[in-house]
Amino acid sequence: MNRFAEGIVKLKWLIIIAVLGLTVFFGYQIKFITINSDIISSLPDDDPAAKLYKSIGNQFGGNDIGMIVLETDNVFKVEVLKHVKQVTDSLMVTKGVSTVTSLTNVLDIKNAEFGIEIGKLVDEYDLPNTQEQLDSLKKYVFSKDSYKGSIVSKDATATLVLFTMEDNADKQLIAKGIRHKIEGLNLPETLYFGGLPMMMNDVSDLILDDIIWLVPIVFVIIAFILLISFRSLHGVVLPLLIAGLSVIWTLGIMVVTGYELTIISNVIPVVLLAVGSAYAIHVINSINENKLENRKHALIKALSFIIVPVILAAATTAIGFISFVFGAYLTMIKDFGIFTAIGTLIAVVLSIFLVPSLISAFSLNSKRIDKEKPARKTILSNVILHPLVTLLFKHPKYSLVAWAIFLLVSSVGIFQIKTSVNMSEYFKKDNPTRVSEDIMQQKFGGSQPVFIVFEGDMQSPEVLKLMISTEKFMKTDPNITVTQSVAGLIEQMNDAMGEGKRIPNEKAKVEQLWFLLDGQDIMPQLVSDELDKGIIQSKFASVESREMEVFTVKMNQFITENSTENCKISLTGMPSVYVKLNQSLIKSQYNSLIIAVLMVLLIIGLILRSGSKGVFATIPIISTIIILFGFMGFAGISLDIATVLVASIALGIGIDYSIHVITSFNNYLQESGDAEQSIEKTIMTSGKAIIINVTAVAAGFLVLLFSQMVPLQNFGLLVAISMFGSGFGALTLLPVILILANRKRKLKAN
Amino acid sequence: MKQKIQTAIFTMLIVAGSLFSVTAQDASTILKNMDDVMYSPKDLTGVNKIILIDKNGKQESREATVQQKGNDMRMLRFTAPASQAGIAVLSLPNDVMYLYLPAFGKERRISTSVKSQNFAGTDFSYDDMEAKPYTNKYTPKLLKTDATGFVLELTPKGQSDYSKLVVTINKANFYPEAMDYYDKGNNKVKEAKYIFKKVGNYWNAEEIEMTDLKKNHKTKMQMSDVKYDTGLSNDEFTVRKLKQ
Repeated sequence: MNRFAEGIVKLKWLIIIAVLGLTVFFGYQIKFITINSDIISSLPDDDPAAKLYKSIGNQFGGNDIGMIVLETDNVFKVEVLKHVKQVTDSLMVTKGVSTVTSLTNVLDIKNAEFGIEIGKLVDEYDLPNTQEQLDSLKKYVFSKDSYKGSIVSKDATATLVLFTMEDNADKQLIAKGIRHKIEGLNLPETLYFGGLPMMMNDVSDLILDDIIWLVPIVFVIIAFILLISFRSLHGVVLPLLIAGLSVIWTLGIMVVTGYELTIISNVIPVVLLAVGSAYAIHVINSINENKLENRKHALIKALSFIIVPVILAAATTAIGFISFVFGAYLTMIKDFGIFTAIGTLIAVVLSIFLVPSLISAFSLNSKRIDKEKPARKTILSNVILHPLVTLLFKHPKYSLVAWAIFLLVSSVGIFQIKTSVNMSEYFKKDNPTRVSEDIMQQKFGGSQPVFIVFEGDMQSPEVLKLMISTEKFMKTDPNITVTQSVAGLIEQMNDAMGEGKRIPNEKAKVEQLWFLLDGQDIMPQLVSDELDKGIIQSKFASVESREMEVFTVKMNQFITENSTENCKISLTGMPSVYVKLNQSLIKSQYNSLIIAVLMVLLIIGLILRSGSKGVFATIPIISTIIILFGFMGFAGISLDIATVLVASIALGIGIDYSIHVITSFNNYLQESGDAEQSIEKTIMTSGKAIIINVTAVAAGFLVLLFSQMVPLQNFGLLVAISMFGSGFGALTLLPVILILANRKRKLKAN
Repeated sequence: MKQKIQTAIFTMLIVAGSLFSVTAQDASTILKNMDDVMYSPKDLTGVNKIILIDKNGKQESREATVQQKGNDMRMLRFTAPASQAGIAVLSLPNDVMYLYLPAFGKERRISTSVKSQNFAGTDFSYDDMEAKPYTNKYTPKLLKTDATGFVLELTPKGQSDYSKLVVTINKANFYPEAMDYYDKGNNKVKEAKYIFKKVGNYWNAEEIEMTDLKKNHKTKMQMSDVKYDTGLSNDEFTVRKLKQ
């Protein structure tokens, strides 16, 4: 280890230049970083329902539908109709928009006695302007299933304008332009913007906002804590430099390897700033404590002493992150795990190589030797650590019982934990996207798409009849109100031919009715060009996981019973995906926790060469996780795509405190052979470092409370709580266990 | 030197003269001439081949026989593909249409007030298919004249989904060569290209290629076996005939 440390000091200039070069390279790459706000793209390809949802959304354009709601007291007013027409006209002439459907331009097919009357529901050149005309329009709209609740809300207070975009257009850019344009009309009605392109645009803005606002705050807070802890400039600059470099390198690597920022990975900078500075702190701390006449020798000694513990701490943290790769459902969570792990490793490598190089190159370490200077009596040691030691030694059993009761109460909370997969809940209550989603749900039966895919000859009466019966079955669910399919259109056309609203029995008739539908704007959204695939489009109103599960189970059963050789049916859509996501949350929580616990246990056991000490070290962190879940249960914080990450991260970071305590205890025990004395010494020395570290990391994560995304706020709060929990556990529970274990059977150093 | 000046003056006179002759052809006259070329036959029969080309270049074709009399009577009877053979559309004055579907053995009257709807899966709207003189529907303005053609801007007189049309008219024979359609945001949304051939005394649109620029979809309408002025009677354009 000494020779390794010597080598680092020897090659300091090479290291500094290499780091500089790589930083310039990665920093330049960040210019090209892109934001992927498309949550759909994060759905895994190995889940058939998710894969189908992605491909159907693309093939039939369902993912590219934008919605604008105009809300007022009564839609059926001359003024309001004028405004709907204004919005419609404005959209029609917007570049990139391919079709627009609204109250003022929707086609209306009437069955008159003499034949078919194709017209507009409302004559856009001669809008109804008498009360009588308005009343009759309202009556007519509410008499037709295809309008009621889909183009005008059932309470007549809101109307929907739908638009689709051209295939190769930049949908987010168009969505942004449209919002700007429509808001610029200054209409008196309240406007809401919805649909995936709109939502994606909002999410992109939030991601950028979060990064721009949160990163500097974390930087300042950590700088402040470092300043009061180290009281030296390089004690502040070096840890922040390492953390900052690890952020730049990690983002640079993301760009080079072709990854994008997502609603989860945008916290990578915050996490790395909080976590990555810790390793440099340890290295500097060690260097500060080794003061010799020869600066170079002091540095080498300090370095060789700290390398292993620091690598160990980083390895356990990285394992916490890596554990997401196994079991996470969304690819963006896997990506987050991989890149924060990479960032953690970068931070530790830089702490080991760059920090000593810089200190040596610029002679930053002091060679002044404070001889026999008594340890400063600080508030920390006097008010907190000393009374703590007294308490633990006096009442080890009571302390243990207190912990046990605390854990028992927390365990009750675990059973109250709910899962949440509803994307709109990820936004704050007043966020425009969430408000729009809520309105869509209240007024227009939700905006969560459901697709039933039929593979077969779309002109065969058998397939079309099956579609109709499927639609009927779907509508028995209270959350499904409107369905749309080519079969429904064929029925309408058959009715128009005077043969009733049903699917004709002869294929020849279907083919000729098709002649009437060919080329209509709606057709590409319902059937494939080859006529071998068609979909039922619908919307699911509820966001309750349970109701979605009931629906998908029911539908899947119906599908298995009704699929035939000539027609394969499958279900997809947001409810199917949410159900899978929901199941996967708990599964991935189990998987990542078990993997993390096992790996940590293994590493500590190996390093300390003692199974029992490995188990002792994991007890505080496992207790912390129980408290964490208990808190989530009692506080009503759901397990969601972000909070599912907390436990493993807490484990990875929090285990470090126990490692410090147990390795330090082992060192003192080796020196003195007296376990109780070693425990006291450990608390008094490691205690300070742990409290500073807990405060710095927790403060860093608490900054996430200012995030625009609710899951990230919860994530920050929960990690902070876990940091306090694991720090407190390492300083109370672990010593108590050691005391009691020692009283039972004398502990020996390894 | 003197000679050079003389030549220059002479050239200028010629240019000025030709300019004068062009402006003398005012926009209305040019459009009227175009209408005359397109709508002067009393009647027409022929075979219409409709080729639909989607954004991937996939083609689909249909065939129909056409009979047309005057500006507002037309019978279109599909002969291919097999599934659509026998379907017939009869257009009569005042936006009245009858549709016959042989599989049902009956006709339905269709009244459509929506001219912007596309006709049977093509890129032609009912509006585009109308055989009404352009002078009735549009106010022309001459944009420019070049060696081979006139370019007119046509502004709709009544209700239309278009804000304007820009038509290039062949200078020698007054048939349209190209037509660009603009939406109300002044975006070009469709374009048509014409190939005219002389059949007997008349110029016939042998092929019209219409491209929908938003959908990236194309329709070619090709006319063959064209016969003019065969003396079609009004009896050819009745519901009874439709069902035959």
